[in-house]
Parts: sequence; C-alpha cells; structure tokens
Amino acid sequence: MAPSPTAPFACGSLGAGDPVAHSFPSRAGPPRAGSARLEALLRDLGASVVRGGAETLPAGCFPTGLAEIDRALGGGFPRGRLSEVVGPGCCGRTSLAHALLARTTAEGELTAVVDRADAFDPASAASAGVDLERVLWVRPTAVEVALRSVEHVLRAGGFPLVLLDLCVEETTALRIPASAWTRLRKVTSATASALVLLGRRRLAGHFSDVALELDAGRPRFEGGPDWLAGLDAHVRLVRSRAGPADRDVAVHWRTDVQGLRREPKPNETERPSAA
Amino acid sequence: MPPAPRIACLLVPALPLAAELRAHPELAGRPLAIASGPGPRAEVVAVSPEAERAGVRLLSTVVHARTACAGLALRVLSPALEQAARAALLDAALSASPRAEPAPPGTGVYAAEAAVFVDARGVAALFRSEAGFAGALAERARRLGLPARVAVASSRSVARIAARLRAREGDVPDAHVTRIAPGGDAAFLAPLPLDLLNPDDDLADALSRFGVRRVADLLRLPERALGARLGPRVHALLALARGEDRAPPPPAPLERRLEEACDLEAPIERLEPLGFVLRGLLARLAERLACRALAFGDLELAFRLEGGGRDARRVGVAAPTLDERVVLRLALLALEAAPPHAAIEGAAVACVGRGLRGDQLDFFRPAGPAPAALARTLAELAALVGDARVGAPALADDHRPDACRVEPFRIPKPRGATASACVRTLAVRVLRPPVLARVRVAGGRPIWLESALANGPIERSSGPWRTSGRWWSAEERFAFDHFDVATADGWVVRLRLDLLARRWEIDGVYD
Repeated sequence: MAPSPTAPFACGSLGAGDPVAHSFPSRAGPPRAGSARLEALLRDLGASVVRGGAETLPAGCFPTGLAEIDRALGGGFPRGRLSEVVGPGCCGRTSLAHALLARTTAEGELTAVVDRADAFDPASAASAGVDLERVLWVRPTAVEVALRSVEHVLRAGGFPLVLLDLCVEETTALRIPASAWTRLRKVTSATASALVLLGRRRLAGHFSDVALELDAGRPRFEGGPDWLAGLDAHVRLVRSRAGPADRDVAVHWRTDVQGLRREPKPNETERPSAA
Repeated sequence: MPPAPRIACLLVPALPLAAELRAHPELAGRPLAIASGPGPRAEVVAVSPEAERAGVRLLSTVVHARTACAGLALRVLSPALEQAARAALLDAALSASPRAEPAPPGTGVYAAEAAVFVDARGVAALFRSEAGFAGALAERARRLGLPARVAVASSRSVARIAARLRAREGDVPDAHVTRIAPGGDAAFLAPLPLDLLNPDDDLADALSRFGVRRVADLLRLPERALGARLGPRVHALLALARGEDRAPPPPAPLERRLEEACDLEAPIERLEPLGFVLRGLLARLAERLACRALAFGDLELAFRLEGGGRDARRVGVAAPTLDERVVLRLALLALEAAPPHAAIEGAAVACVGRGLRGDQLDFFRPAGPAPAALARTLAELAALVGDARVGAPALADDHRPDACRVEPFRIPKPRGATASACVRTLAVRVLRPPVLARVRVAGGRPIWLESALANGPIERSSGPWRTSGRWWSAEERFAFDHFDVATADGWVVRLRLDLLARRWEIDGVYD
C-alpha cells in the first residue's frame, strides 16, 4: 500500500527483520509527528545513525570589530570557510578588509594578503591599525597565480586569515573553474583558516559560505573648504550557510587624515636631512 | 703531571671505494671497481671484495677487469667524492671528541687509505670505556656511509698501524675496534710484519735483503750501524717501530661550512634528473650536519657546466632545518626560476651549519607557521610571483605618498592580544601605476575628469594638499598637488597634479 502523503512517518510498522530506512529530520526542524518514536528508534540505533543538517562550523571566527557587521555574520568571518566581500569600486570593501586585518593582527595572528590587484596600501592599512609585521603580502600578476599562491599559503599553515584581492578588470569576464574553488575550500577547511575574497562581483558562487555585497558608497564632505570626511556604505549579507541571510547593515567609514599622509601641511616642503 | 696521551685512529682502508659506495649505496654487494680515468686503458685503483673474488685485480686495465668479471660495475675515480668522504670522516670524529685532525695521506701501498686522529684522552669516560669510545666512532662513521676501522693507542703512529692491521684482517664481525693498553705499544708492534710501518720501497728492499721481516727483527739491530748503512730514513722507521710519537692531535678548527660534491658520469640538461643528484648530495650533507648537531643554513649551489662554465648561486633557508626534502625543494625552486645555461657536469652543495633550536611555544598565543614550512612556502611564492613581490609590507621613511617597502617576511616574536579599538578608517586602494587623467580646472579646482577609471563632472572635491621632496635629486624629486574628488559616476578618487611633469593622474581610490 502506498503511504498517504499526509500520513505520519511510522516506525512501528517495521518488522524485526525489515531493513531500516534511515530518515533524518529536515533542516527546518524536528519531525512534528511520531517524533517520540523516531527519537526512541534513533536512540536504539545508537552511533550507527548520524543526524544530518547544517554543517557545523569549526570553532571560532574572525570578527571585524564592527559590531553591526559581526552581528550579521554571527560573530565574524568563519574559520575553515570561504567568504566573499563584493561590490563596485568605492563601496568600502577594502576598509572592511583592513578592519578585519587590524582586528586579527591585534590578536597576535599572522595574516596573508594575496593582492592580485596590487592595490594594498601599507600606509592606509597601518592607519587602520594593521600590524604590518604580521602580514605576508603576495602580489601575483595573474588570477591563476593568485589562486595557486593562496593554496601555498594555506598549506603552509599558521596563517589563519588569508585575504584574496581579486578586484581587477581581469575578473569581469573570467570564469574561474569550479575545481579551483573546490581545492581552495578543501584546503581552507583542512587548515581551519578563513579565506576572504574581495571582488567586484561574486566569483565563488555556491562555494562560498558567506557572501557580503556592498553597494556603492556615498562620500561625505564636510567643512569649509570641503574635506573628505568619510564614506557611507551599505552592506548586505546575501549568503550564509550558518544562519539566515538577507541582512542589511549601514556602515560609515571615517577618513584618517594623518594616515592618509596629509602631513606635512599644505605648501610645506620636505627638507634634506643633515646626513 | 698531565695524563699520558691516548689517540684513536679512524681509518678507511680504501677511500675511493668507500666514497663511491657512500654516494651510491645501491652498488653495495655488487662487484665494483674504480678506474683511474675514463677509457679502456685506465688502471683499476680499487676493487670491492666481490670484484676481487671474481678475479679483478688492482692495477689491471679496465679491459682486463671487464674480461675477468662480466657484471662488473666500473666507476671513474672522483676527487670530489673522495674529498667529501674525507670531510665526513672528520665530522664523525668531531662528533665524539673536540680534538681531531686529518692524518697525513697514506703513501705506497697505503695511498688509498684515509685516516683521522682523535684525542681519546678524557672523552672516553663519556662512552664508559675506550673500547666504547672506539665503537661509537666506528658506528658514527658507518652512519655516514664509511666503513671505518678504529684503534686506540698511546701514539698516533701505533694507533694507525693497529687500524691498518684491523683492516687487513678483513670484515670480521665485531672486530672493527682495537685497543692497545697504555704502555703496551712496543709489545704490540714487535710481532707485526714490517710492511705495516709502510717503509719506503728502497728501505723495504734493503731490510728484506738483511732478512728483517718483523718489527722485532728491526729493533734487535744496532741503530748506529743501521743508520750508517741505510741513511737517516731508518731512524724515523726505528722511532716508529718503538712507538715514539707523543704529540697529541691539535684541535681541528670547528669549520661549520660543510660541502658535498660529485662528478656526473654524463652531463645533465634537465632539472628532474638533477633533482635526484641534489637529493643524494643533500641527504649526505644532512647526515653530516646531524652528526655535528647542526642544521641546514643558507645553501650554496655550484655547478660545473659543459664547456668550462660555472654556475654558482645561493639559496636562502629562512629557518634552520634538517629536513633535506625542504631544502631540496628550495634548491629546485631556485633552479626552476633561473636554470643553468648549459648542461651540468659536476655539482657541489655547501652550507654553513646552523644550530637547531626548538621554538618555545606558548599555550595562550598563536603558534604561527612551522619555520621549515614557512621557508618552503616563501620560496614557492617567490618562484611563482618573483622575489620582490613577496614579503612583509613596511612603511618607508619618505614623504612621497605612495612610498612603501617590502621586507623579507620573518615570523615576528609571538605576543598576546593587544587592545584594538573599533576601526572605521576609510581605506585607499593604490593604483600602480597611476591612471593618467584629463582634468578641467576652474578657480584652481578640478571640475571635470576624464580617465580610464572615472569620468564626468566632479561633484565635490577637497584639496589641494601639496607634497614635495627630494628636490636635491633630479631623478627622485617630486611635487604633487593632491585632491580628493567625488565624481558623478560614483567614484571617490585621489587625484594628483604632478607639478614637475605637468600632468594629472589618479593614484588611489577610496574604498
């Protein structure tokens, strides 16, 4: 007799010699009907049955130090996972990356920046609080080389946060094969490092565990005469394996005048040292 | 009164054969002969016991040797391998005693032997006994691939003669070591055949004519009369026969630079077979380093090229390691990046040994990468992207806005977490090189921008911020007026007017 689609799952109908059809609770929650009997059966089967569901994240994640973004991410960028931060130019991707680097290096961890875009500015990073001594800066000249460099760095171990900057024109029409992401994901998972990809658009697709999309930022000029005071950005969590997505966060980035080498003052010139 | 000298002699009887077997252990157990040179008329200068049993004789030609033994493995004498084997023998000695020196090269029938004198005084207690010390020396030499005989006596010459005697007795199990008790040198030497003292051929002939066969026979003859007939050389032989040699070996300089080399039978053009050669050299070097409680430091590679050229290079090893696979990988990466321009005929690997010291880890601080793994990774990255494009970023002490440095990446000292405030600093992405732009200016301020990046009317701008410097250098001087501009198409960029070149450029993007 074919079971009715609405009939509850009944374990009691199985005879002693019948093969057991293992069924797992859905990700939406525990089964509503017959759950007590199902639980009893699972208890009897013991360790031979593994409960399915969402993959458990490795312990730990890397917070950015920005409370609203960390809250949306459920604590920060997860270890052992691939995350993406994407958006058009001037959206705040790099500022977010610097915040992440600053927070991570402040914890005493080593980080790596694989900078295909060759756009990393040590002065800007230092003004954001990044401990440059704890950053391995790799500047590959092609996306393929960048991906291989990331793999090398991950395999070395000891770099719990690796940043891959692919904000380059080259990626507009480039299709990175799935095998590359599979490899990176596997290494990332094995080493419990967090791999964060910066890009103009999403490149890793469903291989990424977390994806943040940033909208074009709105510059804020203040004072008279004008000076660039900061950038208002809008961050949206569009993908998260660990929890619900579609969360919006507004962030404001301030200009660090001193960090942007606004010294010496206008019209002041450098003089040669006595040496 | 200082204690009586005790000298150990570590002796390898047939060095060309031992050096070849050390480099090619797969030849052990096979009939092997070493020829003095290439070509069929070269002489056989060393033969393995297997070859000797098959009828191959010393000083026969290669043609005769091949006729006597069809499966004979024939190798050409390699000075590079011999030199490395001599150095390895000294390493084995220095691993057990701080005072050791290479013995003078053998002459006559003992020309093929290599020996090292080791001061056994005082250190024997570390090995429970002199026999234990001698056994440890033999074992360490064996680990380095050298079948050595060891004898301990009160003088160098007696120790060397005793070691020669042990070598002559052949491969007797547990009989690699001889110990002559203090004061027993003369009694030990007396019954020995005179040729063990290695007299000159003329002197040996003369003594043979006199009927002198053994050391005791020689000592019975009157020294003055013997000197009058045979010349002053006989006095040295008599002193040797009496065991008169009281000088302890001076300490060898603790040279930390170790070298292994080999001559290739055929030139190598590709990196893959060269990898096998380097693997063997590095493995032998690693054994010697381990023997001296050292680890690989920076590597020096030298190749003799076909046509008489030479290729020398240095491979940095970030952290001392004894893992020859790591060092081999580094060497191969360096060779891949810049291969030698001709086929390789000979290879040498040298390194200055560095102390191997374990890192002290902390329970509560991040461990970081293993030094050896980091060194390998940095070398791999350098091979991928170039040396200048891997490292730690650093701020340059310069007023130029885009000035920065890349320093070699080293593992910083571990430290705990530091307080970090919430960072909301707007970052700049540097454009390398800057993007050329055409700018329309009104009232000293840019109002319109055309470039490969951003285009259109400039909605807001701030500046100029003028930076200039190095005016004393025509090549390095710079002068910029910087503006922060927001364009109508959504870009917020750092625009600069190069006052010297009179051109506009975008050198950064706020992101």
